[in-house]
Amino acid sequence: MCRVLAYLGEPLPVRNLLFDPDNGLVAQSYSPQMMNTFLNLGGFGMQAWDPSSLRPDDPFTYRTTTLPSFDRNLRFLSAKVAPTCLVAHVRGVTYTEEAVVADTNLHPFRFPGARLVLAHNGHLRQFTRMRYSLVGHVRPELAERIEGTTDSEWIYALILSQLDDPYGLPETRELAEATAASLRILRQVRAAHGIDTSSPVNLCLSTGRSLVATRFSFDYGWYPPDDEFLETDLPFVSLWYALGGEYAERDGRWQMTAADVPRSVIIASEPLTRDHSSWLEVPEYSMLTAEFGSRGLEFETRDLDV
Amino acid sequence: MSETEAADFLATVPFFHGRDDADLVELARALRRRTVSQGEILWRQGDVARELVVVVDGDLSMTLSVPGERAVEIGQAGPGDIVGEIGLLDGGEHTMTVQATQPATLLVFGRHDFNALLTRPDRSAFELKRRLALQLAGRLRNQLAQLGRTLGGEVSAADQDCGRPLVDLEPSGPPDSRYLSRMAVFHDLDPVALWGFLTSGSYAICPPGSTVLEEGTRSTACYLTINGAVEKVLIRGDRRVRVGLAGPGKAFGYEGLIDDRPSPVTAITRERTLLLVLTRGPFEQLFGREDTIARVFLDVLLRDLVSNLRLTLRPHARLLSSV
Repeated sequence: MCRVLAYLGEPLPVRNLLFDPDNGLVAQSYSPQMMNTFLNLGGFGMQAWDPSSLRPDDPFTYRTTTLPSFDRNLRFLSAKVAPTCLVAHVRGVTYTEEAVVADTNLHPFRFPGARLVLAHNGHLRQFTRMRYSLVGHVRPELAERIEGTTDSEWIYALILSQLDDPYGLPETRELAEATAASLRILRQVRAAHGIDTSSPVNLCLSTGRSLVATRFSFDYGWYPPDDEFLETDLPFVSLWYALGGEYAERDGRWQMTAADVPRSVIIASEPLTRDHSSWLEVPEYSMLTAEFGSRGLEFETRDLDV
Repeated sequence: MSETEAADFLATVPFFHGRDDADLVELARALRRRTVSQGEILWRQGDVARELVVVVDGDLSMTLSVPGERAVEIGQAGPGDIVGEIGLLDGGEHTMTVQATQPATLLVFGRHDFNALLTRPDRSAFELKRRLALQLAGRLRNQLAQLGRTLGGEVSAADQDCGRPLVDLEPSGPPDSRYLSRMAVFHDLDPVALWGFLTSGSYAICPPGSTVLEEGTRSTACYLTINGAVEKVLIRGDRRVRVGLAGPGKAFGYEGLIDDRPSPVTAITRERTLLLVLTRGPFEQLFGREDTIARVFLDVLLRDLVSNLRLTLRPHARLLSSV
């Protein structure tokens, strides 16, 4: 059911996050360690900000519906690009004829001209029943840009619509408030439609300068008895982070190095290494924010009660 | 140490109390004696668990690796203590690094020998599981107490603004059996045994923010979450840390029914929640019985305790990494 990855910190080759650790994001597409009854074979996407590149505020974009493990272009590129910020995603889709594997459904989403990107790990149950009730909460010019069939792209448009300027560079606080406000709108619309079943919404949002992430679920623990996702969804969808100096290999082990003042953070659906000792679990019902401040990376976890 | 000496020693270990002499001699034959020198590491956190040890003499230290390339001592073990059983019970990895703080003599149980003990087709397996539950409940209490000390302050009652009292539990009908049969916790029960288990208790539904149980008070029931989620928290002054989330198939409130001590945590519903409530009488019946339902029930409790022991280390690591 999808895996997300976000990074903010010292310039870091993308391959150090996707390929090199023993549970890097690409390995999580075909062999996830958590929620391992469901593979993530519906495509790969990433947005990466490199300050030394041309137009540094525009992220480098790579999206493919092919399997990232066999994508030699991705492997070559990931050894060359060393961003200070990255959001990446491998997509899990149901093994049914309703599933649409297409470029337009790949995360992270980013509308042309927008500074914000979003990747989602989770799903809104009975989304088709509530989808068009969201139109009233999404700016018309943004609603027009929705191309795919996913609930995630609607969540993206909804969050953008809560910003003062959807094409501007929001401060971290505004982005966090827009995310919480969007979750409140989703809760209201769900209630209006009588939807009260478990719907995980783990989000990673970034502007290239800051990160906002949620580990959240509506009505966790309630399922239709014949639901196809039931066994997969019984545990709360996972999210972990590693905070420190830099992500590096030491004595053959990838880990975040110690630092008095943190300079880098990785947020991921599951630790990038099978050894979890340098990772911390994000508490359920939480929001994380990270941004560069005057004293290094400023990182905060708060309870998300919406 | 001869087999007879090993058997005599095992007779003094609380975990093996009640086993007859022949049984202890047989156990002693399955054990391997090992001596370790001061500073020697028995295993590291994250290593695949292949054995547990019974400490004959000497002392061991258990440490948790936390971010920042640090290790924090979580516990110690001395003569008569058992170390390493968590990874053997759930087939996972060792939760902590274990190191000898002075020369020590150990009796080593391999995974297969330990599992054979737990699956014996006689009453000794039930008795061993009950002792194991008692041991794990004690270990969980120690971990939670240590976490509480890290938080500082005194145990305080749940904030009444965010929690309502127990009386808000409203009786409810049983859930859809199609749903129950898909929950992993019930997979080992055949339909008749499942029906027997589910009718052992009553059902109650409560809104979010209901305090079902307070730390330091006597639990009157074991609660199994059927739908929704319950936060298990430690509250110290204005600090509150969640030590677990009991979602579908997870239990809480049973530690005090096993060891007759107050609840080590406060339990507050996070979502509207449907609970299966097993009051003390039915709980003790299930815990003390020796049939299929009791076997599954004991396994559910052991799995829950092991899972809680692992999960409690996560907020612990988070707190330790921030101090």
